[in-house]
Amino acid sequence: MKRKHTVITSRAAAARAPKAPPPAPIIPSSARRLPGETFRNPLPVPKAPPPQPPPVEEEAPSGRCVDLTVDLAPRREGALVLDNPVLVASGTFGYGIEYGEVVDVQQLGAICCKGTTLKSRIGNPPPRVTETPAGMLNSIGLQNPGVDAVLEKYAGTWAGWDVPVIVNVAGESVDDYVQVARRLDGQPGVAGIELNISCPNVGKSGLQFALDADAAAQVTRAVRNATDLPLMVKLSPAATDIRRIAQAIADAGADAISATNTLTGMAIDRHRRKPFLGNTYGGLSGPALKPVALRVVYEVAQVVDIPIVAVGGVSSLDDVLDFLMAGACAVQVGTAVFADPVLPLRLIDELEVWCLEHGLSSHRELIGSALPGRRERPSTKGVEYRP
Amino acid sequence: MKLLDARLLSTREILPGQWLHSYDAPWLASSAVPGQFVHVRTPDWSGLVLRRPFSINTYDRLSGQVTIHFRVTGKGTDWLARMRPGETSEMLGPLGRGFEIDSRSRHLLLVAGGLGMAGVRPLADAGLAEGRRVAVLFGAASAAEVYPSSLLPDEVEYLVATDDGSLGHHGRVTELVAEYEAWADQAFACGPTPMLAAMAKLATGRDSRLGVARLGRKGGGRPDAMGSPGARRKSWLQVSMEQTMGCAVGACLGCVIIGVQGPQRVCREGPVFASDEIAWDDAS
Repeated sequence: MKRKHTVITSRAAAARAPKAPPPAPIIPSSARRLPGETFRNPLPVPKAPPPQPPPVEEEAPSGRCVDLTVDLAPRREGALVLDNPVLVASGTFGYGIEYGEVVDVQQLGAICCKGTTLKSRIGNPPPRVTETPAGMLNSIGLQNPGVDAVLEKYAGTWAGWDVPVIVNVAGESVDDYVQVARRLDGQPGVAGIELNISCPNVGKSGLQFALDADAAAQVTRAVRNATDLPLMVKLSPAATDIRRIAQAIADAGADAISATNTLTGMAIDRHRRKPFLGNTYGGLSGPALKPVALRVVYEVAQVVDIPIVAVGGVSSLDDVLDFLMAGACAVQVGTAVFADPVLPLRLIDELEVWCLEHGLSSHRELIGSALPGRRERPSTKGVEYRP
Repeated sequence: MKLLDARLLSTREILPGQWLHSYDAPWLASSAVPGQFVHVRTPDWSGLVLRRPFSINTYDRLSGQVTIHFRVTGKGTDWLARMRPGETSEMLGPLGRGFEIDSRSRHLLLVAGGLGMAGVRPLADAGLAEGRRVAVLFGAASAAEVYPSSLLPDEVEYLVATDDGSLGHHGRVTELVAEYEAWADQAFACGPTPMLAAMAKLATGRDSRLGVARLGRKGGGRPDAMGSPGARRKSWLQVSMEQTMGCAVGACLGCVIIGVQGPQRVCREGPVFASDEIAWDDAS
């Protein structure tokens, strides 16, 4: 059965439920804002919350000495509370059943399933994957049977699982996204939606949604209005001003942001003297992408106050800690699953042990600790280093 | 399918740049069938993010030994070739669907090009163990790359073709097939895609050309669905396909090849396919 956790992560929620344990803010709010901005939601916080025993012992999931829970949709209380902050990234874990024989998927924080579109897609011509230095390229081309077939085939299985399944949604127009979201809305087994907005927007001469703040906000708002499911939007690392786009997405009503998708790259087949991939271009993932993803998380964490889920080259506990300190509250493991399918489960245990060794009652104490402090000016380094 | 640590028992360079590894992997040996593969994690994975898929070359259920045969083509295989006996390799396997042998088949024809020998090799053992006769046709660029006959069971009929004529038939291995076409009840091929495409061409219309009667009820009940074990068993030619691979369990859709019914995952629907499942025009 589904365990319920009452982890309160926002002041608003605390105000609604004053009897709950004291709030544990993810990041000091002031550290997340640019100077000159005011709080948009200055709800009164009860001055002296009734004394409660520390929630760690009772609230931590059974068997864990450290509270690893994380709420990915604080505005929708209890809608997407994960047992632990390690997810598997979309496209690397299929629909959750493929690895079932070797991995206990129920232990994961959540599963982001393969990108799903309105109609079925046969994907790109092979070959579709190749290894590159410290990474890999893929050009799957969103092969999937379409949202209806996905729900028919897998939703029943997902509904019986403890682990939440977040359906990754892709489309070519705002209407595509909205229609898929409507179909997912209210389906048992679907815990949330992750929007892959790194798709060409056919209506706007093929410009990716993720590269255009207006388009990104438009698609986020449209999906937000179409469904009550927790909504996570995935950024592209190729965007020139990632902070403006992240801000636009947050303002449009996203519950969380995942950062980042792959970077476009290519490889050459030296024997044939041709591009290696059937689609010529592919998305670069793996450890090679990690510094880029880390920079994006660090920048985005300073301008939005919704949870950030880091994706990009997570392959060890060090990577998890880096992303947490940069401001992410959870991580998705992607490419590393191919080499080591049990890595996500090991990372959960390793994170717990690390927190114990460092005297932390929850990994949430780490979140954003590397961000510029209250009195410091927010970093503009990302801007400086851009070509 | 299982994640397991296999201890390397022996390593031999059987041909220039081609290695034969023998592992102690009892679980793998007892559960594998001919045509399946393992996904091996390279000993040094700094900078290597993918495992390497290898056909199970031979397996022995009694001794629990499994061999793989590979060529050094890059960093991953280079690291594997440097492994010493006693070291362990992490494997995921057995994976994929193997060859389907019809219980009525008495003569098996195995056709291999180069490293493709590793794909059909376990069929020789399995066929002989069940009292069938096995012929192996092998093609390589030159005599220096011909698979040593000492590594095949004695009972196997072994014919070689080389591109430069330095050993055996001068020409393509597929030119030897005509002689065995009538003899063979089933054929199994593994090798470069052009070779497999040529084999598939030979296989189409073979039954009508030779006047082979279709067994079973007249008009034949319901035909087996394409890709089902039954349909593969009834196809004269089965091929083992190769593709660059990501997860090897069917999750990432990276290893697809184009079949007549759309994309097919080599790791899940394959690596063995009936020859009429593949869209050969797109493949070659």
